[in-house]
Amino acid sequence: MISANVSVLDGSLYFTVSLLFIVASFAGYFIFLFTGNKTISKISFGVLIAGFIIQTAAFVIRWIYAYKIGINTPPLVDLYDSMVFFAYVIIFGFILIRIFYDFDALGFIITLVASLALAFASFSPLAPSAVEPTIPALQSYWLIYHIMTLFISYGAFGASFGLGVLYLIKINKTGKNESNKKRGGFLSLLPPAPIIEESIYKVVVFGLVFLTAGIVIGAAWADSAWGGYWSWDPKETWSLITWLTYVLFIHARFTKGWGGKKMAWIAVIGFAVVIFCYLGVDLIIPGLHSYATPGSTPIL
Amino acid sequence: MIMFSKLYKFFSSVKLAIFLFIAIAALSMVGTFINQADTASQYKTIFGPQVYHILYWLGFLDIYGSWYFIGLAVLLVINLITASASILPHTFKTVFGPYPSFDETAAKKSPKAIYEIIESKKDVHEITKVLNSKLGKPFSEKELYYSKNSIFRLSPFIAHFSVIIIIIGVFLNFHYGFRSYTNIKVGEKTNISYLSKNHKPIKLPFTLSLDNYRTLYYKDGIPKSYISKISIIKNHVAVATKNIKVNHPFTYGGITIYQASYGHYKPTAAKLSIVSLKNRKSEKIVYAEFGKLYDTGINNIKFRFIPYKHPKKDEIPFFIELSNNKILKFYVLPYKKHSMPLIFAKYQNTVFLYNGVKNYYYSGVEITKNAYTSVIWAGSIILIIALFFSFFFNHTETWVKLTPLKDGKKTRIEILAVPKKKFESFYNKFNKLIAGIKKDLTGE
Repeated sequence: MISANVSVLDGSLYFTVSLLFIVASFAGYFIFLFTGNKTISKISFGVLIAGFIIQTAAFVIRWIYAYKIGINTPPLVDLYDSMVFFAYVIIFGFILIRIFYDFDALGFIITLVASLALAFASFSPLAPSAVEPTIPALQSYWLIYHIMTLFISYGAFGASFGLGVLYLIKINKTGKNESNKKRGGFLSLLPPAPIIEESIYKVVVFGLVFLTAGIVIGAAWADSAWGGYWSWDPKETWSLITWLTYVLFIHARFTKGWGGKKMAWIAVIGFAVVIFCYLGVDLIIPGLHSYATPGSTPIL
Repeated sequence: MIMFSKLYKFFSSVKLAIFLFIAIAALSMVGTFINQADTASQYKTIFGPQVYHILYWLGFLDIYGSWYFIGLAVLLVINLITASASILPHTFKTVFGPYPSFDETAAKKSPKAIYEIIESKKDVHEITKVLNSKLGKPFSEKELYYSKNSIFRLSPFIAHFSVIIIIIGVFLNFHYGFRSYTNIKVGEKTNISYLSKNHKPIKLPFTLSLDNYRTLYYKDGIPKSYISKISIIKNHVAVATKNIKVNHPFTYGGITIYQASYGHYKPTAAKLSIVSLKNRKSEKIVYAEFGKLYDTGINNIKFRFIPYKHPKKDEIPFFIELSNNKILKFYVLPYKKHSMPLIFAKYQNTVFLYNGVKNYYYSGVEITKNAYTSVIWAGSIILIIALFFSFFFNHTETWVKLTPLKDGKKTRIEILAVPKKKFESFYNKFNKLIAGIKKDLTGE
């Protein structure tokens, strides 16, 4: 168990508290799925925003704490940090989408993914929450830009996954023509399927711009730290695979015969590739990027 | 000719692009599960000799350098060039004209196109004014063709072009650059480095010496920094000296030296200080290897440092043999100032102090010639900017045709638009736009 004192100081306790809010929000969105009750979705959104504010505070506290104990890199270096930040970014993305579009039904998927990430960070022994000194390889000003851009893209791809799932549910239940509008429930509250499909595309291209920038920044960093811009390190390679997946998405969308359902499936599969690139590579394949196993850094 | 046009169609098709994306991604995946560029003996111990031969034959052990991987990259470049070339005339036409007329666009009968008719009593001048306020400045007054963000139609083209630049940069870098590694002992020099891809030695255009190496630690013992002090030596003269650490390499003459690893070799010599009791300032330090003959510098006494073959318990496991075959044992004397006891041997007025072993630290450095990386960075920056503009600045086109009706009082306004990028929200926006125009023209 982590001692309560340290978890207050380094902000990890507040992340755990925010998990409660996000789980509560998920429960609300889940009920909304079956009842289509707008009040419930509004309350869930409010609870989620509260959770988001707590997370923001926790992040600031953690950064200040790290700085105080003499670590000059932002708290984005180990698995715990990254899982927490991932949850933070996809919630932020959802809040933006929710403000601009009326996408309440997306809430249950986003809060589910965010809860899983936060719960993993908070309770898994693989992700200790202690703020550790930064290993030399990560002591660089590139770090923050590299991670920020990539996590924004991960967040966008998370959202596109959620939209893809919604699209598939909607298409399977109502068909493309929405002939049976009377069904009620959350499906009737969703925008028409073609609009969902369009928003999948918009979220994916947003993610792709940031993914491209993140990979390029990573390459520039590698060029100044590891002896070359590209080493075919598993993480690098998987980021390329992720990039190719979404580039395929963009090209396929404008090809005849590749519409709706196929695109939604690519968005869903694409996110599986993202997750493998993000976690699978660290847990399964050792490489320059492995932050999953503390203390096992193959390179300096 | 038909053959050629068929080939051209194949090479410029999106289907080929999609196939290439999948193929490159799949092969890349294989490379992440099989360690690349290990030595043959390493592979044989991991996979066994038979599987090793199969993997070798498949090219899976150096998949990113295999002929088929490079072949796919070349195919991708051809695909990019031909696809760009085939869409370029159309794109240029949309951006710079001549623009298609209302009738030409209507004649295409695109199922996605949207068409609206409004009748208004206002005169042509007033109608044009209302239209311009909603749609912007028309590209041609005669036809009333409105086009917004058409210049950004070039951005996908530029994005594809930048990918070609990046791939060219990668090939140039691969061809003219190299990546190598070498370990240097503290205090020693080398001008040989080993290529990362096949471990073959190459000669560097200068000699590299490692003047010093140290590791800095955080309070709790976690390494904070690895620092190597290196000098570049040309014609026996040190032309540059610099501390390198991880994230802070040093570039000299186009070749960059990176801190990569460190370690120490098995100690081979003991550090002995030899002091004459008559003249205590006369300390001589000898790094004594086992069995070799050294001079004490005192009264011509020579000695060897020798290990016991079967040392007894609690006994110092080595001794000194003088050139006159006399054997000196080492004794342990607890020393007050330090926690380390004094270990010494004595002969007449000469004292041998044992000061531990000599550690040969080495620093592992990567020595890289990053040729033409600027081409890659330029391509990358163009790519990011071009992606941004092609995704977020969407081209809209609207055609308007005005026809005076027979009664002479009314004018028929036909508005035609075609959605881009399969955007469904386009229809909603268009309907809102039409509603606004209708309101201004008819007062409805």
